Amino acid sequence: MSKYDPIVYKDGKRLFYRFSAHQRVQHVVLFSSVLLLAITGFPLRHAEEAWAKPLYNMMGGTEYAPLIHRAAGTVLLGLFVYHTIYWMVKFYQNQICKLKRENRLTPWNIVKEFFSQEMVPNKKDLVDIVHLWKYLLYFTNRPPRHERMSWREKFDYFAPYWGIPILGPAGVALWWRDELSHIMPGIVLNAAYIMHTDEALLAVLFLFFVHWYNVHYAPEKFPAAKVWLTGYLTEDEMIHEHYADYVKVMIAAGLEEEIKPQHFAGERYGW
Amino acid sequence: MHYMYLPGLFFYLAGVITLTGVNVNPVMANELNCMMCHKHRGLSRIDEKGEFRLFYINNELFDSGPHRRNKCSDCHKDIDRIPHEPAKKVDCTQQCHVIEPSGKKKFSHKNIAKTLASSVHGKLDDEGKEKPHQSDFPGCKDCHDQPLYRPISVFKGVAKHGVSARSISRCKSCHTSGNFAEDFYEHVTSRLHKTRFSKEIIEVCAKCHQDSEFRKRHDLDDVITSYKQTFHGKMVELGSERTPDCLDCHVVEGENNHLIEAKTVATSSTHPSNVGNTCRASDCHKNASAELASFQTHVTYDREKYPLQFYMLVGFKALMAIVLYFFLTLIFLELLRRLFPRFAFFKDNQPHHKNTRPKDQ
Repeated sequence: MSKYDPIVYKDGKRLFYRFSAHQRVQHVVLFSSVLLLAITGFPLRHAEEAWAKPLYNMMGGTEYAPLIHRAAGTVLLGLFVYHTIYWMVKFYQNQICKLKRENRLTPWNIVKEFFSQEMVPNKKDLVDIVHLWKYLLYFTNRPPRHERMSWREKFDYFAPYWGIPILGPAGVALWWRDELSHIMPGIVLNAAYIMHTDEALLAVLFLFFVHWYNVHYAPEKFPAAKVWLTGYLTEDEMIHEHYADYVKVMIAAGLEEEIKPQHFAGERYGW
Repeated sequence: MHYMYLPGLFFYLAGVITLTGVNVNPVMANELNCMMCHKHRGLSRIDEKGEFRLFYINNELFDSGPHRRNKCSDCHKDIDRIPHEPAKKVDCTQQCHVIEPSGKKKFSHKNIAKTLASSVHGKLDDEGKEKPHQSDFPGCKDCHDQPLYRPISVFKGVAKHGVSARSISRCKSCHTSGNFAEDFYEHVTSRLHKTRFSKEIIEVCAKCHQDSEFRKRHDLDDVITSYKQTFHGKMVELGSERTPDCLDCHVVEGENNHLIEAKTVATSSTHPSNVGNTCRASDCHKNASAELASFQTHVTYDREKYPLQFYMLVGFKALMAIVLYFFLTLIFLELLRRLFPRFAFFKDNQPHHKNTRPKDQ
């Protein structure tokens, strides 16, 4: 993380660091494989619909679309394993080594460090959710002030972490059904079939409606947020989405005097 | 006595010739004469039951089917003159004039009818008594209309639909007379694979098995809908010819397709002791264990019959509803909030930082 400055300047504007190039590449692999899986899976799930056959044929038809689906699924499962290892290495480098250096390496401290990671849900998230509902129902005029990762981003992050363990093994079971039948009864495939198709529907609906709202449809993001490409947020985005973190980063950078006040919903975006 | 009829016959002949204005032999119907009327696309009538009947014969289609060597009168035996009385239903088990080459006998579909009678679709039960709801049990034409050839050709290991000049040339170099080579080639190669598309087979079975009144009469599940929800059904829907249709699982491998038996019959492909081998048929799940067959194909999501599937489905639907309603409500309210960004019943003016007092203060 150290090779990225928390604040950089481009064309006189302040940008705030979010994602390393390594993480951005992982995201590209993630969304490419998920989109391929969706486009080769949903025509099959909804085979009786008029759009299914043309779309499936475009993706290679009954002969090749299943191969593309399995290849993309393999990549996604590979990414899942890779990211888990990546996270463990990071955790070791950043947290365990720090505890070692400070001579505080006890199981309890490891647990505490685990829960203090930026993507792990915590009490502040609960407070923020309640606060957001208060704001949305006009009980307060101040939007919540999120830390580096808002509860919504954490939900987005953990969606694949809950979806892939359900979808992946079920998909593998349906793929290797003949081999699996030597160790498990066929009814397991009935369960796998429901797991695979229904969890996929949830994943895709969540992706298209909720995640894409967060990064595409929201008026200030439309047509698309740029952070997945650049790795940096603009100051307005930072104030809007991560105000608590913004204040923290600005103070750490010695820019306390230049901290701007928090926006209200949708303000300062000129739409 | 017979000579008495001659004048009448003469007048009849004269009348027909005058009325139609065409010189035909009105007594014995030969091939040309049938098509004289039946080639017209509009040839139709409303029958006694009030049903619309179309009598048009598309010669091009007829010529692409296995019956093309039959004369009309081979099957419509009751018609010996034109114009004719309404034709009787054709009995497919009667002998026709085609000679079956292996036994040199006149061909008939009697054996097929016999097999059908011994299947679950037969009209009589084991004791020879009529099963209830006789009219629900299918005859030949309830499933079969005029079949069409689907010849295939294989060249350099690649199979393709249609007759390939390269393949048939090997026949025609010796079998030169008439259409023998074409007929034989199409007959044989059409039977090297399925004569009907899998999707058509599902539709044939669905004619009865998806009819809710029929299912109620025979106490049957909606097997068509449940099949269409399986991977097999969906692949067939998308045009796959490599996934199984009804016949692939409900007929023992290598057995006559007309021998569909109830799963309670010991020789049936779906009997608990055989179903494992049905799944493991040579072109299907041949590497699987017999345990694969505990997969339930015709799942109706009925709580009593399929509790696992029922509760899993309810669980996933509930999860989906909770997650999506939560976020969609949130998105809706958030978009609405943008219209009134500063309004609130209670103002919260606590600054988070000394510079951060909201602007309207």
